[in-house]
Amino acid sequence: MLVIFEGTSQVETTVRAVLADILGLSADRVATFTADTPLFGALPELDSMAVASVLTELEDRLGILIEDDEIDGEMLETFGALVQFAAGKALV
Amino acid sequence: MIGLRFDTYDWNGGREAMLRFGPESGPIVIAALPLFEEANRTRQFTCTILRALADHGIGSILPDLPGTGESVVATFDAKLSDQRRAYSELAQQLNAHSYALSIRSGVLLDTDADLAGRWHLASQMGADLIRDLERIRAAVGKSDRGDEYAGNRLSPDMLAELRDAVPCEDGRYRVVRLDTDLRAADATYAGAPLWRRSEPGNDFALAQQLAADIAHWIASCEG
Repeated sequence: MLVIFEGTSQVETTVRAVLADILGLSADRVATFTADTPLFGALPELDSMAVASVLTELEDRLGILIEDDEIDGEMLETFGALVQFAAGKALV
Repeated sequence: MIGLRFDTYDWNGGREAMLRFGPESGPIVIAALPLFEEANRTRQFTCTILRALADHGIGSILPDLPGTGESVVATFDAKLSDQRRAYSELAQQLNAHSYALSIRSGVLLDTDADLAGRWHLASQMGADLIRDLERIRAAVGKSDRGDEYAGNRLSPDMLAELRDAVPCEDGRYRVVRLDTDLRAADATYAGAPLWRRSEPGNDFALAQQLAADIAHWIASCEG
């Protein structure tokens, strides 16, 4: 179940923009991403190195800090999971 | 207009290659790319800025530093102190008002030079660079070699120097960032962070805007 935080839509917009900017995807393409859109393992552009870049860019844009032990397959599995993770860190 | 040419410069530790754009008189811009992989991702973009600066009548240099580009110094033997020294000695030889144009961790290279001013794009602290490198290393899986970071073998000396390195913000100083960057800046511009992409890329429109920014700023410094 997706937990909705207030301000999530702003975080969601940022996550979309980061995926577009870092992976070189078009704005139209990321606009089609829904909560269930699979990311890691499904997007060829999102390899291990790109994961590092995406997370660091999210940190910089949202003013959050992501610890190494917080990074797991689950948070990167779908667009919704990544947004929920980022919102949980950003909206405290 | 004087086009691109190759040249060399000597410093105490050897001879390195450099690119030159635009005139050789007047204020000269010395460009510093970020360290390691980000250099590859931003080189073409930086050259686009330098070409645009030449259109503004401002000459520039993109030097290799020891351990970068075509340098015979291996990455593992690269030291930040040597790179800073080579940069400083180049600036000294120019006999001109030289201005730094430093991008991302490139800002850590212009710290010791006697410059008329420093213009920084998306300035990055050494500690943040180390954090980036360690994250990349963890993401791709550690290799047996403890000193390898995504294909770059870095010496303990270099890592120690980088950990404490901060940019020089003294004197005439201007820092510009992308509008998605939360840190303090004198101006921001719209654009994607090319240094974070997997493949090298370019942003012609942004390069023109940044060149105009630099040209206006240098004119106000020379004022």
